[in-house]
Amino acid sequence: MMDLPPNTNAALQALRPPSVVMALERLGSLHSSRLSFARSLIRQMARQRWHITCERFALNAQGHGQAIYRIQTPNNRYHAVIFAQALDDELRSDRVIANAWDITFGLVEGDVEDSLMASLAENLPLQEAGRQHPSLLVISRANKSERNFEQFVDALASGHQPDSKLLLDAGYLYRTTAVYGNGKFGIADYGRLQSNPDFKRPFSAQMTVVYLLRHFAVAQIEHIARCRAPKKAVALHPELQRYMGIGNSTGLGMAPFLINHPQLIDRWITAREQSLALCKLQAPTELNRRQLVALCERARQYFAETKVDDTHQQHLNDVVVTEMDSVLPWLEQVELTDTLWQALCDWAEAALSVESQELLHSLLMELYPSLVDPFEDVMSVQEKQELHPDMPLVQLKQLIETHFDWALAENFDEPQSCYWFWYRSVEKEEPRLGVRGQDPGVEKELALAVAPRVQRCHTAIEAFLTDNPRVLTIEFLMANPRFMDTVRRIQTMAATSYGEIRANLWHQDMKPMHLLRTKLSFLGASRFDPRSDRWVRVTFFQGAPLVDELNREPTDLASFDDWSFPLAPTLRETTATTTIRDTIDTNTSIHTDTSTSTSTDNITCAEEHDESLL
Amino acid sequence: MKVSFNELQGLSRKAFLALGFSDGHADDAADMVAWMESFDLHGLEALNNGLAHLMEEDPDALPHILYQDGDMAVVDGQDLSVLRSSNLALELAFAKARARGLSVIKIRRCRQRQLIMGYLARLAGRGMNVTAFWRNAQKPLTEQVIGFRANSTVPSIRVYSVEEVPEENEPNNGITVIMANHVDLLPTMRSDYRYDLLAKHEESDLMAVRERAIANGIEVDPALWERLKVLAQKTLVEASDASRLGAGPT
Repeated sequence: MMDLPPNTNAALQALRPPSVVMALERLGSLHSSRLSFARSLIRQMARQRWHITCERFALNAQGHGQAIYRIQTPNNRYHAVIFAQALDDELRSDRVIANAWDITFGLVEGDVEDSLMASLAENLPLQEAGRQHPSLLVISRANKSERNFEQFVDALASGHQPDSKLLLDAGYLYRTTAVYGNGKFGIADYGRLQSNPDFKRPFSAQMTVVYLLRHFAVAQIEHIARCRAPKKAVALHPELQRYMGIGNSTGLGMAPFLINHPQLIDRWITAREQSLALCKLQAPTELNRRQLVALCERARQYFAETKVDDTHQQHLNDVVVTEMDSVLPWLEQVELTDTLWQALCDWAEAALSVESQELLHSLLMELYPSLVDPFEDVMSVQEKQELHPDMPLVQLKQLIETHFDWALAENFDEPQSCYWFWYRSVEKEEPRLGVRGQDPGVEKELALAVAPRVQRCHTAIEAFLTDNPRVLTIEFLMANPRFMDTVRRIQTMAATSYGEIRANLWHQDMKPMHLLRTKLSFLGASRFDPRSDRWVRVTFFQGAPLVDELNREPTDLASFDDWSFPLAPTLRETTATTTIRDTIDTNTSIHTDTSTSTSTDNITCAEEHDESLL
Repeated sequence: MKVSFNELQGLSRKAFLALGFSDGHADDAADMVAWMESFDLHGLEALNNGLAHLMEEDPDALPHILYQDGDMAVVDGQDLSVLRSSNLALELAFAKARARGLSVIKIRRCRQRQLIMGYLARLAGRGMNVTAFWRNAQKPLTEQVIGFRANSTVPSIRVYSVEEVPEENEPNNGITVIMANHVDLLPTMRSDYRYDLLAKHEESDLMAVRERAIANGIEVDPALWERLKVLAQKTLVEASDASRLGAGPT
């Protein structure tokens, strides 16, 4: 259990209602925050002095081959194993139904013996089609950003730094298309991670392997450039290394998770809301105010630099930029009172877009690490939906009317309320949407839409109570067994605040993109770049500290952690990079300093293994 | 071949959906099979043996309450697998035990009785002491008893043959389950009658088996795995160019 800070009771009173927080459009406007899992992981790595070293770097001149990185934590040793292969352009696809990728990789618990390596070499490149080893905690694959990859290699081989503007359009060299954990295709079960002190936080093993891929990507392009022009090639500038993230392409496959894990979602949202409520209750100092102004300026610039093809998302980003222009004078002019943060949030709710409101919330949480960070340890939960068979049925009916009023309010007699149905395709079981009455497969519909299930259950309960007013829940279920899962869910989730996403997932106007962004924001994604209403590209770890910086065991952990909303570097001004905050949380300095960073371990490895090219 | 617990649970669930189980019942049945297999108690073998019958069962058939009062109930399992017929009957017993301190439920005419253990474990995990008893065979007469301590999901199991067969030895395809809020119901063998202990599984042994299964995976028969995959495939929708658009344009 975490130690609750002062003001907790007041904060709990001030929590926003689920009707506001769990509206799908608001969830789909969330930004990453310091509670996002990518941020938590980097803090954990630095605090616990994780060391990452290259153990094998056996690539040919085209960058194809194998690499192994060792991750030493205080508790255990892990290895990231990476296979890079040649891939015909026509085979390169972000869809889950693809069968080949530029890179396949995984995270192994323990050492990689020869026999294990042979098994990995045989199966990892096959991904879903292989039988994966139980010592693998995570498997993943990634495709090149072809334009960035080639231009970066060309530039380095010709002795120049690539244009940083390339990273404004796509802030990465590689884009993952799936990152699998939890026993998929034979890898380790989630149960293994629950008792693992290194990876017991949600998705931390997945985030680790994505972070390692970023490191490998730099090593790989430097290696290719050196092979092309041994005397002329240069290493990638550390500022560019830092500004480079790892892309991720996500489709509807992520959507069922949000519905099928409501207790976990409740933990995530509750942690965020409680943190926010605590922050809003803090009496700001003048220094705090200046810190928030600096963060708003950086975020404004970040959104001004962000260019996406999707016109709607670009419009939303533009609105954020414009609205930050009104936030900044508000912050600078309003009298510094003890309730300034509450006043700011109230004003934002009345005057700003939902995206800007939630951005301000993420930024406000940056000011109080000591209040917010302890919540990262309460974002996991042992999920179990259980029946309360002895609950009087009339009480169950009341629970529905109190906690699922949003589901009862939907009119399913209207065609637009029943427009979509969800199903899984034979193609890698990909979740898809079909139009009811038009597309085939409705008889195999996935029970993802909670609202119609709850409403039907409520109707059946009302009818049963008419003849049996004093019965228990179990008696209703013995007569109506097909409502068992719905009743379990209602009874379980009625004890929580933020688990149920309040939307009709059948409705014609429902935007699946909002579901995807909800999870991606908690993972720590940035630069939301929708390719359609069901498909989005994002970036992870853009601006994050480099492996070399981590290995140098940073002492100023607050500074190390200050990498949200990164700005495009201007290389000539590298050493004069804007200092965002001089102090934060009373006495910790936050700034960016990568000017002395080098990628020595990459170079060393490449030199050691150049002779063993595949 | 080796599979993970999550894979086994997931594929079983889809197979049960394909067999007409509702979502909740498919969840429970998959949990019951995977739970047994993770303790190396041959859940998949039991499933495999009963799969043909499961495929012929009426998915809308309901277990029927023959008798009940405050403390006990007798349920007709309708010759269905316990994967279909036991979960709600056991919840009924749980509700009665919560209200009265102790309850007894008899589920008559049910199949694949071994598989009931997974759901008993779930109820024990909710703080209930549970014991279940049934006869496996009449000649020789063998009996099985399984006990769970409240809040422990790992059972103690005894299987034994009885040498002195009672006069009344009609075939019995039912299960008797006793639940108690406060009293241990573990199977401790004490009897003046002669018996041969055929199998004995202690909690500690089973816990070690479970840990190994989670660490190293679960060994399954590839033929059965393939059979489950074929069933699971029935829950999926054929692909077409139009359906690919259902995941959004690339």
